[in-house]
Amino acid sequence: MANTFGNSYGLTTLCPIINGRHNNTALDKITRRRIQLLKENSASPFARIPNTYFARLFILNDVFFEQGNDVARDHLKSKYLVFTSNFHGDLDTYLSGMWQHAEAEIRHIWQHAVAFNNVQNEKDFIAYIKKCQLTTSLFFNGSTDDTLQDQLKSLYIKQAFTEFALTHQGKTAAQLRAAFNQFIRQVDIHNPVSPAWSPGQETLSDLNPLQQR
Amino acid sequence: MNRPLDLDDIQGNICKGYGRYGFPKARYFFLQFHTPDQGRRCLHQLIPLITNAEPWAADGDSPLKPDVTTNIAFTYAGLEALGLPQRSLNGFPGEFRMGMKSRADILGDNGPSAPEHWDPVWQGEGIHAWVSINGRDMDAVETRFSVIRGIISDTGGVSIRPGHRGADNTLLPWQDASAVYENGKVTPKEHFGYVDGIGNPYFEGCGNDPSRLPGRGKLNKEGQWQPLATGEFILGHVDEAQEYPLAPEPHLLAHNGTFMVYRKLHENVTTFHHYVDSVAQDFDGSRELLMAKFSGRWPDNGAPLTLAPDDEAKAALDQQLASLTEKADKGDACAAAQLKALKDQWIDFTYADDKHGSRCPIGAHIRRANTRASLETQKGAFNTPSALDDRRRLLRRGLPYGGGQKEASDATEQGIIFMCLGASIERQFEFIQQQWINYSNDFHLGNDKDVLIGSNNGRLTDKHIIQTQPKSGKAPFFCSHLPRMVETRGGDYFFIPSITALNMIAQGIIDPT
Repeated sequence: MANTFGNSYGLTTLCPIINGRHNNTALDKITRRRIQLLKENSASPFARIPNTYFARLFILNDVFFEQGNDVARDHLKSKYLVFTSNFHGDLDTYLSGMWQHAEAEIRHIWQHAVAFNNVQNEKDFIAYIKKCQLTTSLFFNGSTDDTLQDQLKSLYIKQAFTEFALTHQGKTAAQLRAAFNQFIRQVDIHNPVSPAWSPGQETLSDLNPLQQR
Repeated sequence: MNRPLDLDDIQGNICKGYGRYGFPKARYFFLQFHTPDQGRRCLHQLIPLITNAEPWAADGDSPLKPDVTTNIAFTYAGLEALGLPQRSLNGFPGEFRMGMKSRADILGDNGPSAPEHWDPVWQGEGIHAWVSINGRDMDAVETRFSVIRGIISDTGGVSIRPGHRGADNTLLPWQDASAVYENGKVTPKEHFGYVDGIGNPYFEGCGNDPSRLPGRGKLNKEGQWQPLATGEFILGHVDEAQEYPLAPEPHLLAHNGTFMVYRKLHENVTTFHHYVDSVAQDFDGSRELLMAKFSGRWPDNGAPLTLAPDDEAKAALDQQLASLTEKADKGDACAAAQLKALKDQWIDFTYADDKHGSRCPIGAHIRRANTRASLETQKGAFNTPSALDDRRRLLRRGLPYGGGQKEASDATEQGIIFMCLGASIERQFEFIQQQWINYSNDFHLGNDKDVLIGSNNGRLTDKHIIQTQPKSGKAPFFCSHLPRMVETRGGDYFFIPSITALNMIAQGIIDPT
């Protein structure tokens, strides 16, 4: 199993967190708190990072054993910041976009990761993440592997077309053709940016002024 | 097949839909136990009245069919009020302990269906037990009710919780229910005019006639009908996953018992008929066909759309029915057999030949509530064709309520007392309600909801699609702006103990150690 699935990429990274404290709080707890305070959906920094399908951050405390006394087993020497992301395209481009669009959040989240203090610029960040990368096993992409913009445009058109069908049912062929031409102009099919759904959008757009019968 | 169950230990409403046995009248009421001792004493007096699941027969060893039946079930609070040990209480599933009100988000009980709008009886605490009386007529129900009321007043410390909304905004201490009558005759219809309550599951040991199995059981690899595992419907028995359902300790507390959902579902008849009238103007077919495309069955006689998918086929079916009935009534045995075979198709069908929903729409009510192996993505995808459905079947009980007014409207009292039984409320009822009634991902219909009982809100995209055969040249028909046809007016989750467990609860000897 590889990191790619068509044009989609499944990134898995484990970044060790420094075993230390700041103001009497362990650095992994500080990091977890920062992750938990990140805004979600449209307000998430990942909504700004191009081509993110789905991303997740969490802290891995230790490995778990299903059975038996685990005292004598292997354990992690530190806690890990786990960052996974499913996106469109190649890794370098994605990580560049990540740095360019969310540098402040990246610095904040990764601040206490081992050796992150050496990361000064985009190039360092890409190298750092690659060093922490694991091969993603069993990667399955739940959407198409088109660019995010294409997918958001498709979702918009799907919604708009559903509403078109609902509002123009039963019209004559001539009326339908006229309405459909108008619809095609409205959805501006070759413009991927607008009108379209926005990254992180979680409910239908408010397209139809006559929602209520 | 039909491995023996202790039917004399199982409450009768689990195995019998009383309506089908000639009990068109019912009264449901709810008890509050003020002290555990008084509650148990009252229960002890009630147990001899409880109807078990033994078959009724005209002669022989079986008991005769009574004039009236009585059953009892308890909420989590009720079991607590009867003094069950905490360890036994802890063993009940989470959703049962929480009760229906707390599950409103999952069930889509929002807007006009939100718990704050429910009948007064459901406001606050104190619903401990549900008692049902089903009778051949109202006199039989009243007679039994006064016996029970006598027991309650004799023991003391138990009260009947009032506050069921009745006709003309009166509040009653009980909920009466009745089959809908037409010209003085009992019909199997509800207040929108549909024949209801047709497709109940058949499980191992249920005591029902094996001829009722086709269409009601599960499908095996060879496409034959087999009884569902007992443990899907009765605790203490192995279920479709070859496991014992989650149940409290001790074993005897749960064994031969089950869970029940009680819901008072108000029917907005004016909204329904206005909507049908308005959409029917644009629909290519009769008003009856449109109604059938909502439910999956023809309203007048319950014939499934798989059997008669359009007005023409329905007219031919009706003619065939009439002709066979006439001949059969004159003693023609061959016609009688043909008639039975035809009527068997009311229940013995799948959607195997209707993948695209051109006969029965994919989002039609009966196709949502009982998916009949239609979720099999491709032949052989699962162990058996109905593997995904077998864990999500519901034993439907209950009767319509209200009605009988000169002018029924949204404001008048009418609807259905919906009761369904199963070994897991969460896996069966709640899943169906959340995923199949109020959502459609499994059917590839996006966010569409059930036309009749879905929590629609009259928006443009609250829709139902009436599919057509691909490449037929016909466009699908969209029903948009679906209003809220049905509103929840109250209800809760109940545990129906076995007769053995009832005795143990009454004696106060439930001991999980």
